[in-house]
Formats: sequence, structure tokens, C-alpha cells
Amino acid sequence: MIQITVDDKACVSCSLCAEICPTDVFIWDEAKGLPRVDKPAECFGCLSCSEICPPHCITHEGVVLSESHYHDPYALRLASRLAADVGGRFNVPGDPASQTRAATDLGVRLRSVAEVFKRTLGGSLPAVGTMAGRTLARHLPRYREPRGLDEALALAVKQFAPAWELTTDRKGEDLTVDIGRCFVRETCEREGIELGGEMCVLFYNYLAGYLGQMGRVRLRLMEAERGPTCRYKVKIYEK
Amino acid sequence: MKARVSTDWLSGCSGCHVAMVDLHEKLLGLVEEVDFVRVPVLMDEKGYPKADVGVVEGAVRSDHDRQALEKMRASVDKLIAFGSCAVYGGPSGLGWLHERDEVFAAVYDGGPTNAGGERPDADAPTLEDSVVPIDEVVEVDAYLPGCPPHPYFIAAGLRAVLGASDLKLTSMSVCADCDRKMQKNPGAALCRGAVTADKDSLCFLSQGVVCLGSVSLNRCQAPCPKSGVACFGCAGPSVDLITEPHLDLRNMVGRRLNLLTGIPVEEVARYFEEDAKTLYAYAVASPVIHGKPTVEMRQWAGPKAARGGE
Repeated sequence: MIQITVDDKACVSCSLCAEICPTDVFIWDEAKGLPRVDKPAECFGCLSCSEICPPHCITHEGVVLSESHYHDPYALRLASRLAADVGGRFNVPGDPASQTRAATDLGVRLRSVAEVFKRTLGGSLPAVGTMAGRTLARHLPRYREPRGLDEALALAVKQFAPAWELTTDRKGEDLTVDIGRCFVRETCEREGIELGGEMCVLFYNYLAGYLGQMGRVRLRLMEAERGPTCRYKVKIYEK
Repeated sequence: MKARVSTDWLSGCSGCHVAMVDLHEKLLGLVEEVDFVRVPVLMDEKGYPKADVGVVEGAVRSDHDRQALEKMRASVDKLIAFGSCAVYGGPSGLGWLHERDEVFAAVYDGGPTNAGGERPDADAPTLEDSVVPIDEVVEVDAYLPGCPPHPYFIAAGLRAVLGASDLKLTSMSVCADCDRKMQKNPGAALCRGAVTADKDSLCFLSQGVVCLGSVSLNRCQAPCPKSGVACFGCAGPSVDLITEPHLDLRNMVGRRLNLLTGIPVEEVARYFEEDAKTLYAYAVASPVIHGKPTVEMRQWAGPKAARGGE
């Protein structure tokens, strides 16, 4: 069972932990102004309480976190030398092997989703990718709408890093997108899948949908080269 | 044998060195435990004598900073990044927002205090392209942020690095040491620009005042909110914001303000973006902030922003 500890001395009595917990693990002790762990067995380790806790005084022991592959090694090194309790409190993968496991795990899920989509949707696969990309563009937090495609491209390069290494080159209505490191390609290589299949189709259209929505244009694929690096040649149409 | 401590001062204001003197009688205890072999504000030592611990204040802005830092690193066993400039770039790091030429133009070309418009010659250290935290240049063993670091944590941090204490510095935020009660206060409006609030015992966020306590690492024991001034995050972001790419000052303060008062998260986020130079002041130059996928610091606070978004 997950052990939840609240540091009473640090608690600021905001009751946000009790409010945010999806399984009502806490009950609020009005007299003491403190949360009490009431149903620890209900905790499934989502860490919402820990994330919202203003003083960061809720800790969990025994939570099995899925390993994430996107952490920045610079940030992890800094965090681990800044405070002594980082390893137990946050999702910090320790070694390159755990990052590979995380990537494999995510890759298998991506492949499964892509296969199911292809079987059930067939020819609508590109449209699904585009819609997903547009949805991302609408929901990803940002300062303001990019002023045109050029700003959208610069933002995308940053937002897709480091799992995707994008380089873009725009000349008028012609856009070339080079993809260096690519999470989809790495997954294909690991799983022995040929490039250009459903995962590539989904991802290309996802990226196109995202860029189109952000830059307020429509993009049409003219040419695709796939290999150790991929190159997509695209025509830009004003909406 | 006493442990040897060597200190240096790069692009910073010397406040961190002055903070060491602020240890008061604790300094005497520390002097019994350590031998200061190099302290620019106290002694005329121009070389880098061998030492057990090196303490470096300030960020790397010039080629002089870089060379001094490399010499310091080579002369010590353990290196502490001391103060927010060394750890995150700090206030010196605001220079990261601008190109080097823009900085020169603003300071030397026709400014009110520089009628001649003369730029520094070859005798002055060369300004590098940007400002970086010291760990982008050399390996750092421990970090002690703060502007300046708090005396309690200076003594505790030094002892911990020397192995003289097993005190563990925690990742809790400033709220952990704040006395104010955080309570629901539906209907409170966002107080833009305010750093104080009416009620002394109620949390600033509950009163609609942006306080960075919940998103800032506690290396201070919360003196500002205890004295009636909202936290401005001088010790840099809390550890969750450093390790998790999707968490940021504006969305975490926004979510908490929203739950407490009902102020929309977007309104808070917009305020942070418009006032980024103030609200992100201490960690602008650190990749852990400007590298976040949703943070566009140069657009928010750089020269484009100053010219009204053109």
C-alpha cells in the first residue's frame, strides 16, 4: 500500500489536497486545520495532492511511477544537488537504461494505438492525425497566437524537442521539414517496423495539423523521403 | 586540520559575499572550523590557492568570469554555486534576454550618463554573447541559491558540503515556513502589481496577490511573507518546476489562485507573461526555465516586448 505522509508543521491549511484528490483519500480535520489520511488504500499514486500542495509537504512512499523518457539531464542533475530529498519526491529516472525502458514502453503504446486506428479507420488515418495535431495546437499553453507560420515553426521546433529534432526551411510557399532524431523512427527501429507505415502517417499529419492550426495555413505534402533522417517537402496555402 | 575555503565573485553584486559577514557570531564559529584562503572582499589574494571548498558568486558574463571560474574549479575539491546568479543567472541573468550588441547600445550609445558614446577598449574583459549559470561552464557539486543566500543556509550548506553535518536540505517551498493561513476566498480579484495585502494572517494568494512562495525553493525561512511582503522567488523555482517540463511558475500559481479565489488560470498566466521580467527575474538565464516547452521568455520580456511586440 502507498504510504502518504503530510508534514503538519509545513502545512498551510489550504485543504487543496483534500479537494483535488480524485479518490477522496483525505478527510479535512476542521479543528486542527490539517488533512488526515483516511483511506490510504484508495490512493493510486496520481500525485495530484503532492503537485498542488503549496509548501510541497506531502510525500508518497511505494508509488510505482512509469518511467519518463523526456526529462532533461541538466535539470535532473541540478535538482539532485539542490535538495537531498529529490529522488523520493519526484519522478526522477536514474540511469539511461530506465530511459530506454520508458521509451520502449511508450513506443509499444504508440504502435498499438496506430494499428488499431489503421484497422478501424483505414483511409481516414491522415485526417485523424491532422485533427489530433489541431487539438494539440488549441490546447498547448502559450503566450499568444504566433504571428504567422514562421513564428509557429520556431515554437514547434522547441516544443517537439528533444524527442523530435525538427529543422525547418521556408521559401515562400515551399516548406521543407527535416526530422533528425525522431521518436517514431526509434520505435520503428526497435520494433522492426518499416518506415512510412501508419505511425509515420499519423505523426506527419499530426505535425501538419499542429503547424497549420498555429500558423493559420493549410499544408499539403508534396514529397516525403524517409531514412536515417526524414525530409518532408510541403506546399503552403493561405487559409 | 581546518578545511580550506576559497571564494570568488563573478558577474554579481557582491551581496552574497556580504551575506557571509551577516552570519554574525556564527561566522566566528565557522572561522574556527574553516580557513578562508581567498575571499576577494576581505583579503588581497589574486591567485587561486588549493582549497577543499570553492564558493562562487555571480554568473558568467565575460571571458574574465570564465577564466576565473575555470581556475577556481581546478584549485578546489568541491565547488558550491553560491547565490541565485551562480545557480540560475539571477538578476545578472536578465542580460540573457538581449543580444550582446543591444546591451552595448543601451549602455554606451547615447545613454544619459554616457554622452561620449565610447565603448570599452581591449583592456576591459570581453563580454560574452550571453549570460550563463556557472554549471554551464564547470561541474558544480552543490547549489545554494538565494539573493543573497540566507545566513542559516550558508552555515548549514557549508557544513553539509564539508561533511560536518548531516543536515538535509529539503525541496519544500517557501510556504513551508510561512505563518499565513491559506484559505478559500471566492471572489477575490487579481491584484496586479501588488506586493502587500490588507490582512496580515491570511495568505497572499487567498487575497488575490501574486506571491511566488509556493513555486520557490525554501532557502530563506520565509522572511518576506512573514513581514508582509509577497515572496518574489529570489531562491529560484521549486524542485518540481525544475524536474517537470510541464510545470511552470505561471500555471502552478494560476492553478492555486484559481482554486482559492476563482480567478481564471489564463488571467494569471497572462499577467506572468506581461510582467515576466519581474516575476521570472531570478531564473531567466537558466535552461530549466527558458528551455521549458511553453515558456517564451524572449518574446515576453526581450527587446520585442519592450517595443510593444513589434
